[in-house]
Amino acid sequence: MATRRSRLELIFDILLSIQNKGGKIKPTHLMYKSNLSHKLLNNYLDELVMKELVLIEDIIGKKKQKSTKAIVLTDKGLSFLAEFRRMREFTDAFGL
Amino acid sequence: MFTLFSTPTWFNGYDLLFAAVNLVIALLIAGYSWKIFKINKENKFGYFSFAFILIALAHIFKLMTQGLLYYSPWRSVATQIVAPVVGMAQNGVHYSDIFFRTGFFLSMITMLGAWLLIYFVSQKKSGRLNSYYEISQIGLFVYLVGLISFVSNFKYSVFYLTSSVILGMIVLNYYKNYLNTNKNRNAVKVMSSFMLLLFGNISFIFVFINESLYVIGELFMLLGFLLLLYTHHKVTHK
Repeated sequence: MATRRSRLELIFDILLSIQNKGGKIKPTHLMYKSNLSHKLLNNYLDELVMKELVLIEDIIGKKKQKSTKAIVLTDKGLSFLAEFRRMREFTDAFGL
Repeated sequence: MFTLFSTPTWFNGYDLLFAAVNLVIALLIAGYSWKIFKINKENKFGYFSFAFILIALAHIFKLMTQGLLYYSPWRSVATQIVAPVVGMAQNGVHYSDIFFRTGFFLSMITMLGAWLLIYFVSQKKSGRLNSYYEISQIGLFVYLVGLISFVSNFKYSVFYLTSSVILGMIVLNYYKNYLNTNKNRNAVKVMSSFMLLLFGNISFIFVFINESLYVIGELFMLLGFLLLLYTHHKVTHK
């Protein structure tokens, strides 16, 4: 059975999902990619925006010309991802 | 002059240089582990950092004790500072002996404590005991570590024998970790470095047979710590 993800792992998964989509993703896609409920994702997004790891942009849809939201990964978010990868490598190497 | 065991005189000083290198490496690893602990607040990183601080402390005690043993000018300065406070040897009490024995005792207890802590931290969660038993086991181990460090001042090989047993168990834990992490390259480097430390400690046990085994042991220890440094560098500069 898979173990529960820690808070930090959840944040990593959210940021990684955005990075894998080229640094910009729609909230619904992010919800599916990071495997989180709508409520939980919003809680985490508020925290990530506050910490300037992501920012929320308004974009105009191509087909319906309607304004929708997109979540964008910031430079700070990118460096957090790199640091988290190093931490995970340390954890794996030293068996922690 | 006080001696715990005889070492080749030409090597005096080199071992202190090795200890200084090991000390810096231990502090670097402790620092990075502490940084992770500050980010994710997981206790195991705090314990791991503390274990490497203990290793650094063990090397500091070794540097102080052996430094005074090797260099007579340092010894004279220390005697001049301490003599007015404690007085000269009276009633057969040799303060220098007490100093050296205390130094070796502190060096041994911190080193054994560190190995034991690394052994506990490197255990996988499923292999750990529940918290009540874990605390009682740690209490028992702390007592034994204290006892062994005291006895080792009179029979040094007891210390290296105990160190070797704990290091052997750590190597086994890291072998399991290597298999669990899909044969991660850095995991095998960590396992190899602890294996080198184990070889070093095994060499020290047999110094009474041949003094040159002390040099071999120190070289193994240095190589082990250098490999730990290399792994740390690979991980933190990825």
